[in-house]
Amino acid sequence: MPAAPKAPAAPAAVPRKPEVAARKPEAAPPVAAKPEGPPPLDLESLEQRLKETNAIGVLTKLSLKNQVDDLLEQFRDYYQGRLKTTLAELRRLYELLLMKTLSLLQDGDPTLAKAIHGSREAIWAILSDRDKFSKLP
Amino acid sequence: MKRNASRLLVIMMCAVIPVHAADDPKQRKDLAAVIALQGLPCGEVVRYEVKGDNDYLATCKDGNRYRVFVNAEGRVVVQKQ
Repeated sequence: MPAAPKAPAAPAAVPRKPEVAARKPEAAPPVAAKPEGPPPLDLESLEQRLKETNAIGVLTKLSLKNQVDDLLEQFRDYYQGRLKTTLAELRRLYELLLMKTLSLLQDGDPTLAKAIHGSREAIWAILSDRDKFSKLP
Repeated sequence: MKRNASRLLVIMMCAVIPVHAADDPKQRKDLAAVIALQGLPCGEVVRYEVKGDNDYLATCKDGNRYRVFVNAEGRVVVQKQ
C-alpha cells in the first residue's frame, strides 16, 4: 500500500522544540499564540539545573533537597492513606517551597527562576495525579 | 608553675578543637539562606566559625546565633544557640 502523504500534525498539548526546517512562508500553517517564556522543565532537568547553578551555596542546595524530599514523602503518605490531609493543603506546601526556591534564585540565576516559575503547573500536574506521581523515579 | 600549666592546657585545647573564624561572603550568604529556609529569624549572617566539616556557628545581624550542620542522615540541621 503506498504511503499516504502525512497530514499536518495536530497541535500538541506539550510544547515542542521549534521546527528548524525551512518552509515556504505561504505553506506555513497558522500558529496558535503561545505564552512567552521557556517551555516547562521536566523534573530531571530541573534537578540538574538546580545542582549546577552557582546562585546558591552547597548547604542551601542540600537544605532545599531535604525540603523537596519531605514534600514528596508527604505526597507518598497521602496517596497511601497514611497522612490525613487534603490536596489543597499539599498545594499550599508546594507553593510555599516554590516561593522559597524562587526567592533564592531570582537574583543570582533569573533564567532558572523563570524556568521554574514556568514549570509550576506542569510539576503540580505530576504531583497531584496519583498515577503520574507513582511513576516518578 | 600552675599558671603555666593551665596556659599550656588552653593552648592545647585550641589546637585540638578545629574552631576558627572565617569570612567568606559566599559562605555567609549560604548560611543565611539555610537559616531562612528553616523559617528562623536572622536577616544576614555577619560572621561565622567553622567547627568542623559542614559544621558552622553563624552569628546573625540581629544577634541570633545558630549552629548549622549536616547530620549523619545528610540533613541540614539548624540549632539555635
